[in-house]
Amino acid sequence: MVGPSRRMGGRLARRPRGTIMTRRLGALCALAVLAGIAADARGEGGAGKRRRPLPPEYGRVLLGEAGQGRMAPVAFDHWLHRARYTCRLCHVDIGFAMKAGATGIKPADNEAGYFCGACHDGKRTVDGRRIFEACGAGGERQACQRCHAVGLPVKPGTDFAAFARGLPRGRFGNGIDWEKAELDGQLKLVDELEGISIKRQSLTAQKDFALSPKLAGMPEIIFSHAKHTVWSGCEGCHPDIFVGVKRGATRYTMVEIFEGKYCGACHTSVAFPTLDCQRCHTRLVK
Amino acid sequence: MALLLCAAAWTGAAWPGRATAAAPGRPAAASPEGKPAGTPAWRAEFDDVCGRTQDAMAIPSDELKRLVARADALLPAVERLEPTQRKVFLRRLQACRNLFQFVLDTREGA
Repeated sequence: MVGPSRRMGGRLARRPRGTIMTRRLGALCALAVLAGIAADARGEGGAGKRRRPLPPEYGRVLLGEAGQGRMAPVAFDHWLHRARYTCRLCHVDIGFAMKAGATGIKPADNEAGYFCGACHDGKRTVDGRRIFEACGAGGERQACQRCHAVGLPVKPGTDFAAFARGLPRGRFGNGIDWEKAELDGQLKLVDELEGISIKRQSLTAQKDFALSPKLAGMPEIIFSHAKHTVWSGCEGCHPDIFVGVKRGATRYTMVEIFEGKYCGACHTSVAFPTLDCQRCHTRLVK
Repeated sequence: MALLLCAAAWTGAAWPGRATAAAPGRPAAASPEGKPAGTPAWRAEFDDVCGRTQDAMAIPSDELKRLVARADALLPAVERLEPTQRKVFLRRLQACRNLFQFVLDTREGA
């Protein structure tokens, strides 16, 4: 299929390739912004207009609802947890659903040592510090407010700015290049939890492959299985997020990605956001 | 085969190729894979099946089909667990079963 720029004859073809690429990427980013605005207009992800989250807020998930006599909602920060644990550990082994609120966590679940209580049992330690116990059915309200703190004057246990200092910088999202931090060994991700995970052999990553965008002239996407399986394993994506069994069989658009489907399941909420076009569209078309 | 595995899960009879097993929720006396004593039979089987997801792409298709059947056979035992465990292990079982099926479908569609 010939794209619009090629149909325009030699006029564009004579321009330096870098200029065309820049224009394409610019168009893509503009599309990303427009899709974001459209999603805002539809009121997705919350009522009214959404502002772009600040670095400490990116990946924050609100769990629970506020209400008379109820515990305050939990503001779960992904950055605090992904700094130590793989996505796979929580979303596969511990069993947290990928959609906020879909797991239906109950105090009894925590007390039994599942979900938050799998780590937050008051016994496990991290960096020599005991991980505080998740609140159970008979827990004291003050202890519960360690997490159930939305709207309450509760000081976070870890300061984001102090944590992010020294980590490689990213342009968007949390402002951290998580991939580089992991590659450089600044993050040592835990992928198994004793008593929860199954002891398994290490994963052999599948080959990388290229995905060709529909828009002619757009840089190709080089999908790295290795980069993704470090965090998500296989079950994190297949087949729930990527149901197609043959490459190219599942056709999806950037609009669907912006809406949180396919790559957008993670790359609109936790992993680097889709505003960072060049992180995926990396290979120039020859 | 699936019926046999299902019956084994329910009655506590030995899984095919396993030394001993116990009924769901009942501790196994010993585990052939070196699981700690007291590991329920369903959990030992679950670990055995779902511990294979890392090398799913390298597993021959016949073996994958057996793993899918074993995962299906585990379902009744997992559904009888108490609500919290059921919630966790149904999700985990579904994820690993679906991954095996996904790999099979990928091969057949290739």
